Amino acid sequence: MSHTQIESDDDLEALEERLEHLLAAATSSRRTASGPAQKLATRPPEERQLVLHWVEVAARTNPEMAFQLANHAALALSLLSQRHFRAWIVAALDAYDRRGLAAGVALLKAPDSFVADDPQSTNSASLSELTGFLEKFVLGLGGRSLNIQASECPHTDTETLFLPLHIAQETSPELNRLIYRRLAAHLWGVTRFGSFFPELDDHLSRWPDRKRAALIYGTLENRRIHALLIRRLPGLFGSVTTMPSQSEHWNQAFAAVETLAATRDISLDWLHELYPVPLPPPPAPFHYGTFQADAALQVMSRRLDKEITLFRHLLGELQQQKPGKLEFCPSSANPRNQPENGMHFSLRLDGILLAPPDSLVRLARSIVQDIGHLPPELSHPAGSGGRDLAQATTTAPHEVWSGTYHEEGAFLYDEWDHLRQDYRKGWCALRELNAPSDDEPFVAETLHKYRPLVKRTRRAFELLRGGDRRMRKQSQGDEIDLDALVEALGEWRRGNELSDRLFRRLQRDDRDVAAILMVDLSGSTKGWINTAIRESLVLLCEGLEHLGDRYAVYGFSGMTRKRCELYRIKSLEEPWDQAVQGRISALQPLEYTRMGVFIRHATALLKKVDARTRLVITLSDGRPEDYDGYRGKTGLEDTRKALIEARQAGLHPFCITVDSEARDYLPHLYGPARFVVLDSPRSLPEKIADVYRRLTH
Amino acid sequence: MNDPGTQLIIREPFYQASGDEISVFTAACANRLPLLLKGPTGCGKSRFVAHMAWRLKRPLITISCHEDMTAADLVGRFLVVGGDTVWQDGPLTQAVRHGGICYLDEIVEARKDTMVVIHPLADDRRILPIEKLGGELKAHPDFCLVISYNPGYQSVLKELKPSTRQRFVALTFDYPDAHTECTIITRETGIDMDTASRLVEFGHLTRNLKGGGLDEGASTRLLVHAAQLMHAGVPASTACTHTVAQALSDDPEVITAIHALSESLFPGPARM
Repeated sequence: MSHTQIESDDDLEALEERLEHLLAAATSSRRTASGPAQKLATRPPEERQLVLHWVEVAARTNPEMAFQLANHAALALSLLSQRHFRAWIVAALDAYDRRGLAAGVALLKAPDSFVADDPQSTNSASLSELTGFLEKFVLGLGGRSLNIQASECPHTDTETLFLPLHIAQETSPELNRLIYRRLAAHLWGVTRFGSFFPELDDHLSRWPDRKRAALIYGTLENRRIHALLIRRLPGLFGSVTTMPSQSEHWNQAFAAVETLAATRDISLDWLHELYPVPLPPPPAPFHYGTFQADAALQVMSRRLDKEITLFRHLLGELQQQKPGKLEFCPSSANPRNQPENGMHFSLRLDGILLAPPDSLVRLARSIVQDIGHLPPELSHPAGSGGRDLAQATTTAPHEVWSGTYHEEGAFLYDEWDHLRQDYRKGWCALRELNAPSDDEPFVAETLHKYRPLVKRTRRAFELLRGGDRRMRKQSQGDEIDLDALVEALGEWRRGNELSDRLFRRLQRDDRDVAAILMVDLSGSTKGWINTAIRESLVLLCEGLEHLGDRYAVYGFSGMTRKRCELYRIKSLEEPWDQAVQGRISALQPLEYTRMGVFIRHATALLKKVDARTRLVITLSDGRPEDYDGYRGKTGLEDTRKALIEARQAGLHPFCITVDSEARDYLPHLYGPARFVVLDSPRSLPEKIADVYRRLTH
Repeated sequence: MNDPGTQLIIREPFYQASGDEISVFTAACANRLPLLLKGPTGCGKSRFVAHMAWRLKRPLITISCHEDMTAADLVGRFLVVGGDTVWQDGPLTQAVRHGGICYLDEIVEARKDTMVVIHPLADDRRILPIEKLGGELKAHPDFCLVISYNPGYQSVLKELKPSTRQRFVALTFDYPDAHTECTIITRETGIDMDTASRLVEFGHLTRNLKGGGLDEGASTRLLVHAAQLMHAGVPASTACTHTVAQALSDDPEVITAIHALSESLFPGPARM
């Protein structure tokens, strides 16, 4: 027994007990923690602690993940460096988050394959570091925007590039990153230059062995795309050499598809020649990925229907706004820019050129990318496509949620997991919904109830309004300050120096404030807290109308990460009218408070607004809390991270709360002076305008 | 500037027309109509005005508008000189008095009171009210008012009001097509056509990033800058990084992506 092992049975028992506790939900009478504990006992104490920490982290995600981690951690530690051990767990948790238990467990069960990817951890490049960069890189290359996702088998389905989690083929991280770029660019090329097209399915099905036909076609297309990319991106592909095949047939086919004028039709022609040849296709370089025709065709056919319907709908809408003969068609191709052929469009109204809306151009490009041209019937609006649209696009937020558990039409936001010290990518699905409305006379009653306060607030806010100030005795200005001039001349006559501060200048103090007010609609605000919140919203909005600041009001609530709901009470552009008042009147307490995601959304909204001061004010009654474990430190740390992100984006977050315990945690979230705790919710209507006034003064 | 003659442009500024803008400008000037130039930054609006000033042999006064600019900065003000007050014409008044093209660049940046001054100049009255002198100045027959703005990045708040827009003959500018842009780059910098066409392609790639990390892609002006550095011997991707990537964004991810795009386009050892 080496010195690293557990010396006594007592220690082993303690370890087992601890694991038993952590893994309680995944163990049974036949499956106990003793197996994992015995394996772990072979590792040094500090490594055991590390494993226990991560088992605890994983247990919060899923008990089975925790069990598998405990069971394989000892093996992983014998193979991986500590840095890489962490990367292995984070990758597995990430796989679980994105693709479910099977994917997560598969990674945990195979630390040896993780190590095979990465013999020297310091030399590898990992996708998690490069995702954002690669998304922008392929967006820059042009065409349909593509997502990046991790997959052991690199390929594309024409909407997503699936890339490996790590690449460790070369001897330095730099070279491995280059391979990522080549892989991403090649897969981009496959989607961009027409390797997949709707009729490909028929072409492949003609052959008795469809799989073999797809393999041959894919090999030829990869070669065609590679040749095209060498010409188009010589800096990236110029130094990559392609190996000739041992078969003369294949070499002839390669020569044909590599010519300047080659299209996919040449590959299809050569498929006929090569299918009978018994030799298998020559092996492809790693950066081609795999050519998965079926996955791509499936995604493409779903998308194409949807996009054509949406295109018709948008063109129909445009026609309604602009009566006349509307025509959308490809504009003259640009001969110098061959790959962009057919990707430029013009819009004519009664023969006069108009700038086509971006949304229409994007759809047209995506359609052309799939079928090679814009179908002539799409050039003119054809009646209303409204009914088809509802069928084709299920992106209306309320429809998406009814029933199934999917994320279409939602904004996806990352969430900070303080235990992993990393973001859970695209973890929360947020939907913006219209807040319900009623026609109770709540607003009028509130204004009546608080008459003196309303008057006071109005006056206080009017004083804040920007105005003109005349600055006297300035060295530069619009006009002469006669008083200063007389005074200065007097001084001059007496032999003193003539002052140069002789002008008057008009100083404008423009307020340029945009504020988003986020109102907590969690279940705990039931009863008179809800009334106090609604009353204070009325008073604040009434005051802000006099101040002239731009402001929006949103209510937030939800249950679990998959259903974060933001209720639009008033957007920045909306006026303070009866519709908004009806929505405030109808505000009801709902479910939980998953704070971070809402702050991230408010940040995203305000980032688009051009204002000198941008505020996110949260009106809350307690700690961040949600049903699925988002409580305690998890909720607080995520909220804190979201607030840091908001500050980095140049916003000013502020919190008004009626939680009497808030002084314990708000300084950590907002910083010492960026919140106010009201002792009683009853004082909220009295104080809120005052707080806002002080905040923006 | 008391003698606007000094503002005459002697050497022809290079301008590659991409439509009928020269004839429209000439006709508008001849008919004393003011002009509004719309288009993204760096697409050649200012160069076009300079070219037209040369072509029409009129002095050019360019004023870059900013948020602190007031009507007095345009019209003029009293100065105190040796115990006396002396009136000093502002640049707009000089152009109105002596004739010439007055070009107000990025007009929406200026304070709203400047519009009050411009309105009577931009309709058939063609007068400049000078409040402080208590009178009006009738515009010289050769006076021509040109304003420009970029509808892309300015906020809704800074849109031009219809009452202002509807006084002007409007010309829309955009980045030139690839061939014209190549010609411009080679003419401006002396770089070879092949490199210029790669640079133009690079410009197009950055414009794909509009809305996905960038507010605007590389302008023709930035591409000319890159070409100038390359002509001076700076390696292509270095030149692109310093003139384009760094100029367009502060986000490290976007800068790396733009850098990677330039490296991918220009032959040479690719590295990240």
